[in-house]
Amino acid sequence: MHGFADWLQGTALSNTIQSVSWVIPLLQSIHILMIGVVFVSALMIALRVLGRMRVDEPFDAVWRRFAPWMWTGLVVMAVTGLTLVVGEPVREFTALSFWLKMLLLIVGVTGTALYGRRLRAYVLMAPAQFPRSARVASVGLITLWLAVIFLGRAIAYDKEVWASLSLHA
Amino acid sequence: MDIPSVIQSIEASAPGEWLRSSVKAMPIVESLHVLAAATVFGTIFIVDLRLLGLPDTRRPVTRVTGEMLRFTWGAFVIAAIAGALMFTANAHTYYGNTAFRLKMLALLGAGVNMAIFHLFTLRSVGRWDQGTPTPLGARLAGAISICLWVSVVCFARWIGFTKGYDFKIPADSHINFQF
Repeated sequence: MHGFADWLQGTALSNTIQSVSWVIPLLQSIHILMIGVVFVSALMIALRVLGRMRVDEPFDAVWRRFAPWMWTGLVVMAVTGLTLVVGEPVREFTALSFWLKMLLLIVGVTGTALYGRRLRAYVLMAPAQFPRSARVASVGLITLWLAVIFLGRAIAYDKEVWASLSLHA
Repeated sequence: MDIPSVIQSIEASAPGEWLRSSVKAMPIVESLHVLAAATVFGTIFIVDLRLLGLPDTRRPVTRVTGEMLRFTWGAFVIAAIAGALMFTANAHTYYGNTAFRLKMLALLGAGVNMAIFHLFTLRSVGRWDQGTPTPLGARLAGAISICLWVSVVCFARWIGFTKGYDFKIPADSHINFQF
């Protein structure tokens, strides 16, 4: 992995990203703005399931209002995130937080897709209160996104956060 | 008391000392700051979009502002506390940093924009609360708010690249990783 990171860091594309001074700050800023869009959209959907937000609207309407923003935001984050990885591969690949973040991200994205599909079908069949499992899943997904956000910031502090578990040499 | 000595005493304060000496405090405080700031942006963005008539005008403006602004303010308080803690750790570096000053200016602008909107524009909300296009004043307030909050985030991230100090631990040092 170190070899791959070193190779990637030496490519022309990576060098361009590193050498133009405003590219990385700009990408990180966009990435943070999208955290706001994605996290708040997921929060609105979860709070609707928990009966704390937009209860006057059917779940399907709330999902259609926020899910497109959530998915679009995630795509923008994937693009900016991937570019940041190409620009600073050693920084990312040698951080335990980065790998944990990627793992939770896969769980989060898959989980949200399944959750949305199940809940929309459920609401169409029976417009009653959400079952306990749906409420637990809502709290679980929000907790997961919180962990992803914390791990994202922790990439810059791998040794401080993980001490001997850190992948830093 | 002049500004340099105020800055100096902030930096010498107990929270400042704690943040500089604790290995884990800074990443936790910074993460909270990013999370809270992102929530401020995400929630206020929903209000701003509604002021621009997006995605539609079916949901009353007063209902959108009522349900979102409690999150915005809650998150803002957390972001401000975490931000103040980060400031105490390196007050003089922040104070002299251009990106930091621009960020504070953009924050002030966002506050003034919001105050004008609440004191004047929102008075006539009964006429455009639901189902009709919002007036120019409301659309301007929404557009200005989006621009200023995007600027706040960009300037904030820029501070990290211009602040001129580094919290990284030297590779060969031995540190106690307890708080």
